[in-house]
Formats: sequence, C-alpha cells, structure tokens
Amino acid sequence: MRRVVITGTGALAPIADSPAGLHAALREGRSALKSIELFPLDALNWNGINHGNGVNPSRLAGEVRPFEPREYLGDRNLRPVDRTARLLLVAAQQALEGSGWTAEMRAAREVGLVLGTMFCSVRTIAEFDRRAVQLGPSYASPLDFANSVINAAAGQAAIWNNLRGINSTITGGEASGLLALAYAMDLIGHGRAEAVLAGGAEELCFESYLGHERAGRLGERPIPFDAQRDGFALAEGAAALMLESAEGAAARGARVLATLRGHGETFDPSAGEDEGAAAEAVARAVHLALEDAEVEPQDLDLLVLSANGSVQGDRAEARGVAQALGPRAADIPVVAPKAQLGEALGASGAFQALTALGAFDEGVVPGVTGLEATEEGFPLGGVSSSTRRLDRRPRLALLHAASTDGQCCAVVVEAA
Amino acid sequence: MSHRVVVTGLGAVTPVGAGKEEVWDHLLAGQSGFAPVESFDTGKFSTHLGAEVRGFDPAPWVRTLDPARLGRASQLAVAAARMALEDAGIAPGEVSPERAGVAMGTTSGEPREVEKFNDRFLAGAAGSVGAEFITLYPCHMIAAHVARELGLAGVCTMIPTACAAGNYAIAHGLDLLRRGRADVMLAGGADAFSRITYSGFHRLGAIAPERCQPFDKNRKGMIPGEGAAILVLEPLERARARGARIYAEVAGYGLSCDAHHMTAAHPEGDGAARAMEGALGDAGLKPEDVSYVSAHGTGTPTNDRLETLAVLRVFGDAAPRTPMSSVKSMIGHTMGAASAIEALVCSLAVATGWIPPTMNLEEPDGDLDYVPNQARRHDVRVAMNNAYAFGGNNASVIFRRVEA
Amino acid sequence: MSNVEILDKIKHIIGNIAGLDPKRIGDADSLRDDLKLDSLSLLEIGVDVDLAFKLNLPDERYKEIQTLPQMVSLVHERLGELSGVQAGAM
Repeated sequence: MRRVVITGTGALAPIADSPAGLHAALREGRSALKSIELFPLDALNWNGINHGNGVNPSRLAGEVRPFEPREYLGDRNLRPVDRTARLLLVAAQQALEGSGWTAEMRAAREVGLVLGTMFCSVRTIAEFDRRAVQLGPSYASPLDFANSVINAAAGQAAIWNNLRGINSTITGGEASGLLALAYAMDLIGHGRAEAVLAGGAEELCFESYLGHERAGRLGERPIPFDAQRDGFALAEGAAALMLESAEGAAARGARVLATLRGHGETFDPSAGEDEGAAAEAVARAVHLALEDAEVEPQDLDLLVLSANGSVQGDRAEARGVAQALGPRAADIPVVAPKAQLGEALGASGAFQALTALGAFDEGVVPGVTGLEATEEGFPLGGVSSSTRRLDRRPRLALLHAASTDGQCCAVVVEAA
Repeated sequence: MSHRVVVTGLGAVTPVGAGKEEVWDHLLAGQSGFAPVESFDTGKFSTHLGAEVRGFDPAPWVRTLDPARLGRASQLAVAAARMALEDAGIAPGEVSPERAGVAMGTTSGEPREVEKFNDRFLAGAAGSVGAEFITLYPCHMIAAHVARELGLAGVCTMIPTACAAGNYAIAHGLDLLRRGRADVMLAGGADAFSRITYSGFHRLGAIAPERCQPFDKNRKGMIPGEGAAILVLEPLERARARGARIYAEVAGYGLSCDAHHMTAAHPEGDGAARAMEGALGDAGLKPEDVSYVSAHGTGTPTNDRLETLAVLRVFGDAAPRTPMSSVKSMIGHTMGAASAIEALVCSLAVATGWIPPTMNLEEPDGDLDYVPNQARRHDVRVAMNNAYAFGGNNASVIFRRVEA
Repeated sequence: MSNVEILDKIKHIIGNIAGLDPKRIGDADSLRDDLKLDSLSLLEIGVDVDLAFKLNLPDERYKEIQTLPQMVSLVHERLGELSGVQAGAM
C-alpha cells in the first residue's frame, strides 16, 4: 500500500474563503451562524415548528454570503454551473493551485476527483421539477436537468479543470466528506490513481432546511457536546484536498502538508435509534482506522469530531470514540469545528480534515465556541470552549464523522 | 494482499421480471419491458413509453423494515438485495455483520420524494411536508436501507455516478474485498421511475417515441426505465470453502472521466476507450480475450455511434468478432440500476454460455456483431460490462470464468 | 415587435445563458462558431426564446438555427403567423 500525502488544500466556508482564513477564523472563535438570507424563511408558507418537545429550530445557518464566484473563477461562463458546483470550483481551484498541479500537467496526466456530498443540489433537481410542472415539460430547463444528477458537481469540476482521471461521487450524509477522503486514499494507495482531488461540497437551500427541520434535526442551541444542546444548524461550503502518492509528490518536488495514514468505515444497523449500537459503530470505525494506520490510541494527539449539537448523535460519538481510545480519551485534545462552522453536510468531513491541518501547523486547537458544560458522564476530557495553544504541536489526528442515518467513517492524518 | 473476488449471488427487480431466473429467461427470450407510462400522466409529453417495473409487491422481500416507509428505489434495492443473499445461500448469522457491507449506485436516488415535496410546496402547503422527506430522499438512504434490512454493519456507501453507478459500486466492492476490508459485499444499483427523470430526457429530445433500437440505423433514442440489481461478492477462497456456487470472477475494472461535456460523450470516445483499457489492464487481459461485451447501448444516435467507435479503437481487428449486445433494447435505460442489471447479465453469460440479444435491430449501424434479435449460445470466458454517464463518468467491469 | 427589439431580447437571452454581455454579441454572430455555444446551451436558448416570445414552436425549428439573423427571422415570422391567426379569428 503506497503512502498517500496531501499537497494542496482549498476551502470556501461562511467564515473564510481560504484554508488560512479558515484556520484564523476557527482560532478566533468566529461563528458561521447568522440569520438566513438565502431564502425567505417567513415566506415559505410554513410556520411550523413544534416537534412536541417545545424545541424551536435555529433560524440561523452558515451561508457563504456574499458569494461572487467571478471574484475567484474569472470570466468563464458560470451559467451552466449551479451553486453547489460553484462552491466546489472555488475550493478545487485553490487546492490545484496550492499543490502545483498546473493546467499543463493536468493535460498531460490524469488527475482524478472524488466528491463527498449529501444532496449535490437538491435545489437544482427541485427547481427543475417545479418549472417542468408549472410551465409544462417543453419548458423544462436542459441546463438544470444536467445538474440534477448527484454527480453533477464532480462532473462540472472535471470539465472546468480538465480532470480526466477517476471521477466519482460518494454520499453518506454528514460522513460524506471523510468517505471521499477514504475512497480517494485507497485509489492512490493501491495504485489505481496517481493524484486525486478529494473533498466535499454542499449548498444551503430551503429544501434541505425544511426537510431537516421537519425531521426535528435542527436546534436553537447547536453546540457540540453541550448539556443543553438541542439539534444542529445547517451550513454550506466546500473544501478540497489534493491527494497523491508520496513518491509522486517527491518526484515533482511538491510540498507535503500531511499524510493520510488509514481509515475505517462502519454502519450502525439501528440507524442511530439504539444508542449502544450507534456508539459501537463509532468505536469500530475508530478501531479500524487505527488498525489500518498501525497506530495506538496513545500515539494520537488530536481528535477532530463531527459532533454538531445533535442530542443523541453527539453522545454516541463521544461514547464510541472513548470506547475505542480507552484511557487516552481522558486527556486527548478534542476539536468539534461544527460549533463554529455549523453542519455543512457533505462538506463537513473535508472541513474536519482542514481543521486538523491547521492545528498541525500552528499548535493551536480551536475551542468549542459557546460550550457551557458537558453532560454528566461525558467521557472525553480534552474538550474546551476556548481556543488553546498546546505545549507541543499535534502530529497525529483522528477524524471521525457519523451520519444521522448510521454511516461512520474515521481517518487518521499525520503531520508532515 | 489481494484476494480474487467472485460473484456468488444475484438478485434483480426489472421491467421484465423479478429474480434472477425470470429476468434471465425473459432477456434471452427477447421480451420487451416497454409499455405506456402508468406512474404519472404523460399527456403533455410527446412520448409515452417507459420501462416501469409493474405489479411488483416488495412486501415479501422487505421483512425487517416497513416497505411503506421506504422510497421506491429503496424498495427495489432491498428486494434485490434479499434475493441476492438468498441466491448466494448465505443464511443470517453465517457472516459476521461487521465484515459484510453494501456499495450501491444510483442516478437520482428517490426523485419521487422531491416530486411529493414540490406538489405540496406548489399547493401552498409547505407546512405539510413531513419528516419523511429527509428520511426518504437522500440517496445514501438506499444503501442504508439495504444494510438495515439485512443487519449489515460494515461499509455502507452510495456512489451516485448516474448511469454508470452500478459499475462504480461493483468496482468499489471489488476493491474493498481485494484488500480484505470485508468478507462479503452486496454491490449494485437502483433507480426509480419518475416524472423528473422522464421530463429531463424528454427535454433533451432523447426519448424514442416508439421503439428502443440500440445500434440500429434508424434508432431514435432511449426509453427511461427503473429497477435494481445486486450482486453478492466475496473472496474466491471463502466461496470455495463454503461450497458456494460461483457465477464468475470480477476480474477487474477501469474508470475514467471525459472532462468534456455534462451530457454528451467525448467525440472520439476517448474516456470510454480509457475505461475499457483500464479494465483490461486491471484484469491482465487483452481485447481479444473478451468473449462478449454488454454494451451501454442506450439507443441514442450519439451514444451508440461513439460507443461503437470506442470499441473499435480498443478491440481493433478483434472487434467484428466480439459479440456486443444491449439489453436496454428490452429493459430500457434503468439509470443507476442499468450497469448492475448488466453485471447480472455478464455473470450469467459467463455461467451459462448464453448471451442476450439486441432486440429491434433491423439495420445494424456498424460492422460489429450486435447479436441481432436472437439470444445465442456462446462460450463466454470473459465478459466486459460498459457504462457511460452524465458528467463524463465512464466505467468498465470485467467478469471472467473461474476455472475449476 | 420590430426586428431590432427582437434581436435585442434574443441577445439578452443568449447573453444570460452564455455568460456574455449582450452588447458584445454581434448582430450576425453564428451560435456555435462565434459564440461557442454547446448543444445543451443551444437547447436552453431555444426553450427560453420560445417562452419569452410565447411562440410554441417544436424543437426541430430551433435545431435548424445557426445564426442570430436566422433566429430573429424565425421569431419575426412566427409572431407574424400568430397575430395573423388572431386577426383571422376576429
């Protein structure tokens, strides 16, 4: 199995439009969550929200706003590209530039792309249908139809950047971004690809918002691990990481940011309904990743988790991670970036990876902004509400993400 | 470490029947799965045919979950999965759940859920959209439902690479098994018939008004369909150890991206050729080793022409004597299920020595042997399954006979 | 509607789909060669033109169009037909 390294990164988030900007924003405790402006909440002809538990969902979300794609992408025609793909194009471009994979190199060699996304664009497919229904099928939009398939953003990014290698899309809810990293890592590790851009993208739209709200998943206090948490807040964005073989990177003199050491994926057959089973699935994913990476819990010095304020999800993740790490769970520093970024669904896992890289670089671990107290019996000792500078820069991070519906993915990343 | 991987179980729900036996018998008999669309009103469309799955009751196959709480594609997928597992002779408890996983593909997931959402929204009743939208619509739920139904706790992934998704999922399952990350993988694809998908292809002018005629000079387009197919994949040693019936080995795969256009293939069949060559390379085979090609063969003027071109590029002199047929001539284009159903076809072609026809073929548009109108006995040692998708996603998977 | 008005409206539609400033579209431009429009964009333009002018023409008519002047002619002719029909019906 070949070593797989990261040679470039890109990020577009509500609080930053570059990886450096993201690290600074996380370090400073800035929050992505603001009043929703992308769609008119009140005009949605819905005044819902009573799940019967007295909880009101957050009317806040993390929007990439203002978003002027031409600022980043130049004058090429963006009309055929929908918002989800535009977010991805910005992040992808940064990662390609940062890694030094020039247009000439991409013309000569096959660079791949693996995208994690939960919906790609549910807005595009829904708008396509609304227009076809309201105006009749002759007036359906061909451009929207092309973007209604779930691999559309990955296809657009390939066309935009001449990426002719393996191109794939993977979905697993909130775990999609990490699943994409794992998938791409294996393609390179086992010699099926030389270089693959891996990441996640998700746009915020009212279809997603309404859907999540109706299912009771959104909360007004979307703070990871907080004893008073009541659900998550949605966000959008995109992040991309250029992955390639260590030998390939060395041969072209590329700067290595980090190494992907291993990964593990599991499923909770109770789909989150049984907390024990949910924690078990998390624990197994972590264990598989550690085994794959050939590291022990005590070797780890950072956890970047997917906790987002879900009452049960956060608890299952904490329990499962603690189960797998044993005594190390008591003091390993923990970051839960969704405290600031919100839940960006398919993009989240990629943001988690960038968070680890930022911590490697600066030795600074962002706090879980807004955390007041964890609940009784909370098993992870290294959670803090404020940003900390560690005595030593972390070198080995474990990333974990679980979807609300049962998919778990863990990835081990090592500093360069 | 690299295990050899084989197909030990097959399950499918298609426009020409459900279950491996029925589907295979009907395909060899040239049965048509086309009929006037029933699931929505095509009054405003200029075409009215579809390849829907008619009269299928998922209840006997969906035993753990409640079929009423699954989207259409999930119902088809879960049914196909259970059929495949039973066909493989794997009883519950025979495989450790943590070592059994699911890898599936789809084009649109559960588009009917978007339609329901919109119907309410457009009627001013957004408030009546329920919790079910987020528990049914996201396409990862299809794989999750299969895993949940069967109690599988390993990898559970959805690879929605549109009309090539089934092949991508099978390739992913192959990789996981080769590397020992699982002992059993259920791999395949599913898609549901919907007004969204139909409207889209209709708007592109891609739907044939009367017949689906892949590779025919007078072909006028594709006909949308729906379905699901799942293959049970496991390491060869494991299959032999438990005395499983082996259909074929999954010998290799090739994936590529045209990076050219969202809905039109590369004009020289470049990506398609690279996918085929990649698969042959992965399997350690040459083009002349291939006994049969299951074509993507949608019936559109462009696809069939470029696909023929790509095959000629890769196979050269061997092309005219390598039979290539398209079952889409019978089951239409079942989207993400297509290459999974066609993988089932390849597995059975290898196992039985029969190849299905390209139906409705009156005037072949090219010099290849498209197996016109009649199934044929053929010694299939190696079968290649090709699939091409929107976004320029190309995938070829090779199936090979396992010598005793 | 005058041909000038028709041309202007078509240029705005094309500009929107092609990501071009309508003022930079030449009156005699060819859709594929000069404006580099691909098949999907051409289809979208046909749909939007038909909707904007309420022409109700079949796809085949749009497939024949190669240039802007041809598009203007098509619209002008069709609008004439439609108003002629109305006049006749009165």
